Amino acid sequence: MNIRVRIARGPAQGRKVFSDFQVALEERMTVLDALFRIQREMDSSIGFRCSCRVGMCGTCAVSINRIPRLACSTLVKNLETDTVTVEPLPNLPVIKDLAVSLAPFFEQWKKALPAFRPRDSESQELARIPADSLFAQLTPRKRDCITCGACYSACTITHKSGRYLGPAAINRAFLRLLDPRDSADSERLAILDREFEGVWRCHTQFNCTAACPRGINLTDTIIRIKRALLRHGRVFQA
Amino acid sequence: MNSPANDVLQKYRWRFSGMVAWVIQRVTGLLLLFYLFLHVHTISKLAEGPQAFNEAMATFHSPFFKLLEIGLLGTVILHAMNGIRITLIDLGVGVERQRHLFWFVTVGVGILIFLAGAIPMFLFAVLKV
Repeated sequence: MNIRVRIARGPAQGRKVFSDFQVALEERMTVLDALFRIQREMDSSIGFRCSCRVGMCGTCAVSINRIPRLACSTLVKNLETDTVTVEPLPNLPVIKDLAVSLAPFFEQWKKALPAFRPRDSESQELARIPADSLFAQLTPRKRDCITCGACYSACTITHKSGRYLGPAAINRAFLRLLDPRDSADSERLAILDREFEGVWRCHTQFNCTAACPRGINLTDTIIRIKRALLRHGRVFQA
Repeated sequence: MNSPANDVLQKYRWRFSGMVAWVIQRVTGLLLLFYLFLHVHTISKLAEGPQAFNEAMATFHSPFFKLLEIGLLGTVILHAMNGIRITLIDLGVGVERQRHLFWFVTVGVGILIFLAGAIPMFLFAVLKV
């Protein structure tokens, strides 16, 4: 059975142009497999990106049938459609065809102070993390982010405002806030509390959570930070 | 197989329930705002005396306006139930199961409350049995 693959072409200026291809569907074919088949056998000029091919790096995030997903982790048969429309992630500048620049995403990422800032950089002691601490309970799920940009492109607030940090950057700041070894709590909380950049811009639409290929509940992160800010950040102190 | 548009719509409802809820909250909010202006306009007739107010109120006794009242009830219930849902989520309740919270609690319970109010309204105010 053949499927129709529609691929958005060119940099996103003006009206979108699509190229249509007929691809023979295989049992375990992913959207990335289909893109490679097209590139090798039909049109070598289509532009897309990938790296690990196992859903670990986030490089191949594209919009598939209007939903941001990883091309390497999306089985064509699971889409249950005979037409697969592949477009670049919305809300990010297109470099070529399906490849976008993540520069705006990482600009916001940097603003959230993503790096670890140890309380005692000379310490030789191992940190003690109590099992009942928020860090121990929440970190395993929240740290799965692969910075693919799917949440950023699904968020309607980032569409409207170039100043909003976006879900991934906020989640990163949250992880650092939870970390009892980190020292930049007040700086991060001040950034997250800002009117246009911070968590208060979130409208609790859950689009980021729905789009995240790693299943991170990013809206939950934002809600937790909102509540913590109302308590002056005390929640994060060990 | 479905067309791509149908496919996206079918999956959108469940996957992006939060967005659907947000749109419903905005639309019902705007409808209630419109109703509020209408309500204030009618009440302001009191300033012109009892007769002017009674004349304005007479307009709303027609079956057409009773049907609109049933629509208003539905709008208020959806907006209120969704507001409760958002409050619960902000308090950290049901964040992991927000889709169920929306479809089964906001919409499901909302429909039950709506029917409890809409059926008597329809029978006694529209059909006048």
